[in-house]
Amino acid sequence: MSLHPLTFWSIFTALAFGVVLSDSAISALLAMGGAAWIVYRFRGDGPWRNSFQWSLVAGLYLIVIRAVAGIVIGVPRIGETLFTLPRIHLPSWIPGIRIGGPVTWERLSFSLHEGLIIATVIALFGAANSVTSPRKLLRVMPSRIYQLAVTLTIATSVFPQLIASITRIRQAQYLRSGRRPRISQVAIPLLEESLGRAVALAESMESKGFGLSKVQSRYRPINYSNRDLLFILSGFIAAGALVTL
Amino acid sequence: MIKFSRVSLIYPHSTTTVIEDLTFEISEGEMVLVMGHTGSGKSSLLRLVNGLVPHHTGGILAGEIIVDGHSTRTSKPGELAGIVGIVGQNPIATFVTDTVEEELAFGLEALNFPNDVMRKRIEEALDQVSLAPLRNREIATLSGGEQQRLAIAAALVMHPKVLVLDEPTSALDPVASEEILAILHRLVHDLSVTVILAEHRLERVIGYVDRILLIEGDGSSAIGTPSEILKKSELVPPIIRLTRALHLDEVGTSTRDVRRITETLRNELPESVRPSHPVGRILISAKDICVSYGAQQALRDVSIDLRAGEVTALMGRNGAGKSSLIKALVGLVEPHSGDISIDGINLLQMKQAERSQRIGYIPQEPGDLLYLTSVKEECAQADKDNRLPNGTSVELLHSMLPSISLESHPRDLSEGERLTLVLALVLSGSPEILILDEPTRGLDYSAKNRLMALLHARARQLDTAILIATHDVEIVAEIADRTIFLADGEKVADGTTLDVLLASPAFAPQVAKVMSPRRWLTVSDVLRSQELAE
Repeated sequence: MSLHPLTFWSIFTALAFGVVLSDSAISALLAMGGAAWIVYRFRGDGPWRNSFQWSLVAGLYLIVIRAVAGIVIGVPRIGETLFTLPRIHLPSWIPGIRIGGPVTWERLSFSLHEGLIIATVIALFGAANSVTSPRKLLRVMPSRIYQLAVTLTIATSVFPQLIASITRIRQAQYLRSGRRPRISQVAIPLLEESLGRAVALAESMESKGFGLSKVQSRYRPINYSNRDLLFILSGFIAAGALVTL
Repeated sequence: MIKFSRVSLIYPHSTTTVIEDLTFEISEGEMVLVMGHTGSGKSSLLRLVNGLVPHHTGGILAGEIIVDGHSTRTSKPGELAGIVGIVGQNPIATFVTDTVEEELAFGLEALNFPNDVMRKRIEEALDQVSLAPLRNREIATLSGGEQQRLAIAAALVMHPKVLVLDEPTSALDPVASEEILAILHRLVHDLSVTVILAEHRLERVIGYVDRILLIEGDGSSAIGTPSEILKKSELVPPIIRLTRALHLDEVGTSTRDVRRITETLRNELPESVRPSHPVGRILISAKDICVSYGAQQALRDVSIDLRAGEVTALMGRNGAGKSSLIKALVGLVEPHSGDISIDGINLLQMKQAERSQRIGYIPQEPGDLLYLTSVKEECAQADKDNRLPNGTSVELLHSMLPSISLESHPRDLSEGERLTLVLALVLSGSPEILILDEPTRGLDYSAKNRLMALLHARARQLDTAILIATHDVEIVAEIADRTIFLADGEKVADGTTLDVLLASPAFAPQVAKVMSPRRWLTVSDVLRSQELAE
């Protein structure tokens, strides 16, 4: 039993706001835990299902990069010095930036904290994608936006195919010459193929009567239930709790 | 149902007509095959039926096309959506949504059908093509045959009176293509749907169609029953070549008919031996290789040797592991166990430049290798890449295809010409091993024969080891010395082509079906026995 796509998106948006407003590591970790439970419970089986994991990995990278940047570059912060890096002296016309120098505990923990908050927001976005695909969200949009939504859907559907085509063409060229192909070598066959595909898709849509009728019906409309309301409510309460924490 | 009266078509910026003065009529519940050389205008003709040409493509249309009382001149393709369903050459490119059910709903939603009608129609269409168990699947995870069935279902939800299909079986293995044709057969016979299809592999469809529309490149055309048309046509399936070669008066289009005609021959002719060719040393050897992608195992303990001067065919259903094996042999994927060596040197320790010099690879889409603006430039680039004297590739190309113009743009070449160009570019480097992935897709019989002669000469005269991965049983029967059969990542057969092809009825060539239980695969096999008798 799944929930309405909008339910998921409102819960995760509320949690993200909660985390950002509270600006605390504990609320970030709690929100992440909650998201993990929802993903575990409601994950679909589409190609998006692993977005949560991927966003966690991306978040981890982000924390590491933020921490390294925080150690190496930055304004001095007063506090307990952990260790000192050799300092690079920059010319006088770049004031206010320091590379190297003493690293204080405060400076390190601040960087880690900031990294964690951003990583959490990314993870919440990833979690929303894991439980409901963006296309499902488009399907529940009001009719007026639906036309636009379909256009967007088509635009996004091209990307996976584009990546597959690039890989295939690069491999073929690489096998022919034994060298990594230049961009133009890949771009020309790719352009040719993408144009062909776009024309085929447009023909197929036109043959099926797309755009002919102003009003469109909706197959298997997704309806709100009381359960959705309950979930949204508890999501908002949780977000509020995070802020007051 | 469909009436073409004096139809001519010319595309913008073109000086020649694609279709000239074409007149014919197709009645309800007929299955008609459109036949012709590559580039003779088959695809244009198919898309004229629902008005995609010229409404979508541009061009000038003369004459009148009436489909179920509607003129395509005044009705747009979308307005004919409930009358004509069209299934394109490459189904995956025509899907709009990402799951099976949503794809079926797309056309119905666009025409504002109420929900309960949509439910019924979608159920019905799913049942007609036996896709009901896959209704919630992502389209990207479907096999080629399933995608083709989905494309047909997406047309069927609109309850069309006419179904138009452009090469519906060209990308499929023999078993999957039988499934598609059985579905079409049922639609024609149970629901009186009018079916028009274009297909190069006549041997697959000839038993199903009621009439053939033959269009020649020069604008002339003919329509008639299969035996009428095939009696004089230049493009014929092996079964007709057989009756012609044996000088039989009757022309049969089904295995059953020709078996009846050839009964005495079958019983009387002596056994003959397929000429065998002494094979050379092993050039590339793969031992017990396993390849897996994530949790999915694509190849399990497959061993294969390619020998100098031998043509080996690699067969199997879609997804059986053919592509994985080819990728491993050319060094694109690293097997997680087992090893591959060329002349005793481990393939993975070789530099790619050296591998490319020893292994020539023709990808499924030959166009992937072409990026310059003329045939001449492509050839010059190949000379430079392979460090050959200028003009080597051009010379080779001319020996393979004298008629080709060096000034033409590679994109303007026909499928067959483009394949030959890519072959010349790859072969100019004189690789010892040549690997081709599904080379006969979209080729007509004459282009296929040219390709076969070329490959045969290369193997015999220059001792090249050739591996062809293909679904085309007929080409395998004609040129392969050895056939390897993969199923679900495992090697299930490896032996002479004769033994392997005769072992499985689904993969038997047409002549073998007619001549069973005799051990003949091709027309020339039968003729050899006949010569022996005389």
